[in-house]
Amino acid sequence: MTPALALRAVTKQYGTLTAVDSFSLEVARGTIFALLGPNGAGKTTIIRILTTLLRPTAGTALVEGLDVQREGKQVRQLIGVVPQENNLDRYLTCRENLVMQARLHGMRPAETARRIDELLDLVGLTGRQHDFPDTFSGGMQRRLVVARALVHHPKVLFLDEPTTGLDPQSRRAVWEYIESLKDSMTIFLTTHYMDEADSLCDRIVIMDHGRALVDGTAAQLKERMSRAHIYELQFRGGADRYEELLRSLPFIRSLQRTGETFRLCLSGEESLKPLMDAIGTGDIRKICLQEPSLEDVFIELTGREVRE
Amino acid sequence: MVKGAFSIWKRDMLVLRRSLFSELVAVVASPLTFYLAFGFGLRGYIADVEGVPYTVFMAPGLITMTAVSAAFDESAWSMWFHRKVQRTIEAYRVTPITVFDIVIGKIFSGFTQGALKGVAVATVIFLLTGVRFNPAHLAGYLAFIAFGSMVFSCAGTVCGTLLDKPETIGKVQAVVIMPLIFLSGVFFPVSSYPEALRSAVMVVPTTALFEGSRRALLAGSFDVQFLAILAVTALVAFVATVVIFNRKMAE
Ligand SMILES: Nc1ncnc2c1ncn2[C@@H]1O[C@H](COP(=O)(O)OP(=O)(O)OP(=O)(O)O)[C@@H](O)[C@H]1O
Ligand SMILES: [Mg+2]
Repeated sequence: MTPALALRAVTKQYGTLTAVDSFSLEVARGTIFALLGPNGAGKTTIIRILTTLLRPTAGTALVEGLDVQREGKQVRQLIGVVPQENNLDRYLTCRENLVMQARLHGMRPAETARRIDELLDLVGLTGRQHDFPDTFSGGMQRRLVVARALVHHPKVLFLDEPTTGLDPQSRRAVWEYIESLKDSMTIFLTTHYMDEADSLCDRIVIMDHGRALVDGTAAQLKERMSRAHIYELQFRGGADRYEELLRSLPFIRSLQRTGETFRLCLSGEESLKPLMDAIGTGDIRKICLQEPSLEDVFIELTGREVRE
Repeated sequence: MVKGAFSIWKRDMLVLRRSLFSELVAVVASPLTFYLAFGFGLRGYIADVEGVPYTVFMAPGLITMTAVSAAFDESAWSMWFHRKVQRTIEAYRVTPITVFDIVIGKIFSGFTQGALKGVAVATVIFLLTGVRFNPAHLAGYLAFIAFGSMVFSCAGTVCGTLLDKPETIGKVQAVVIMPLIFLSGVFFPVSSYPEALRSAVMVVPTTALFEGSRRALLAGSFDVQFLAILAVTALVAFVATVVIFNRKMAE
């Protein structure tokens, strides 16, 4: 069966910067696929190539077997796109934005009206359909962009950080639509919310510096980490002092802090004793072994430093 | 291909319709000011020009000027806004329409705005001032306006496509568009230029536009050479604009 998406050794260079570096990928139809990676990893660049907005420097990209460069128009008939930044038309009402999309896809007026009513209902904007999008909250605008991407029944849906800036309710609502769509289309999304990728996606690729680092289901990725040793450590006090100490220990591979609680990843079981020796037992309120989360995998693979 | 361009044009017309009244009031203000200042304020100092009172001489140029600068402004700002601010161009580009649809739709939106605003100014000048023209001359005049609006709409679209900063668009307006309009026969006939310059000025497309349109409206003379210069310019501008936009989008 033709994969819904295929990238073959795709490279994109901006001057001397290689944003996407000989990237290859196949995504089967009906998958909810997540591309994860730190800021600047190249996620948006890949989406722009697949949606015919950007010409790759080298390599080929196919959507439903169609070449994005030579058969761009046919590709665009099949895709729906939610870009990272909302690009609604603020001079058109909510409903007019959707009507415009239907027109650009050559849909007939009768069909358009029915479809739009259905989508407005789905994203909960029926009551605001005659208002202009700049009177909407960020979450409402985002939901409208999602609805717009669905007007023409796309076969492949691209969502570039669909839930950024949404409250938990709206995020959950967006997840629900995405799940409800999965039978009829392939979904390609990027996100910085690990829990989202974990619970929603059938397959995850983590990338950095334009290259793929790992590929698999959330469970498989976490399994890779099961030999990593993640501990939760809580102090009665003096957490600042302990943080400094913990950061100086060479066998601690990563460290996150929330208040008095630390989450740390040791390089091996044998490091536990030197750890206890270093911090002593006096101030410890709690120490326990933790299941690795997708976030641990992500940090482990892409490092701790904040990207410029 | 035409359908996509038509959808974009229709969207622009819907938006224009919402603010039509204020747009028209705004566009009438400046030519009317010129008309009153030069036509009445300086009445005692300016003799008849080419055998007609100065107010009559100036009216066709003011109408043409309004039409073409409206076409330029609308095209330049709209393209810039949709490309850089609202990024709707990108939303259009992930639908099955082509870049040709987008640029052609936008050029015709600018063109339509120019034509509408030209008509608005013409109406006001006719009503307020009693300047009357022979209706039979109108067809020839409109031909000039149509080609002129097309040229300026294309020029605006190119600016909106290539220039990222709004202040650069403002500079192009001040340094290129305004002088080009003012020096090619809105306020004085080309015969005022010294002999040596005149033949050069005569082949500038804006001269063809302003001289040609005025002669068409006032005297009913249909200057084929002027119209040919303008038509060829419009065609070249259209093709160049489509090519430039296509290139820019492929970056
Ligand atoms: N138009 C451009 N010109 C030059 N460099 C660019 C351009 N667009 C993107 N880049 C660079 O390409 C790299 C990848 O960018 P991209 O937007 O794909 O990252 P991303 O993974 O989507 O990041 P984020 O999570 O922040 O959205 C970055 O280093 C970025 O600086
Ligand atoms: Mg991005």
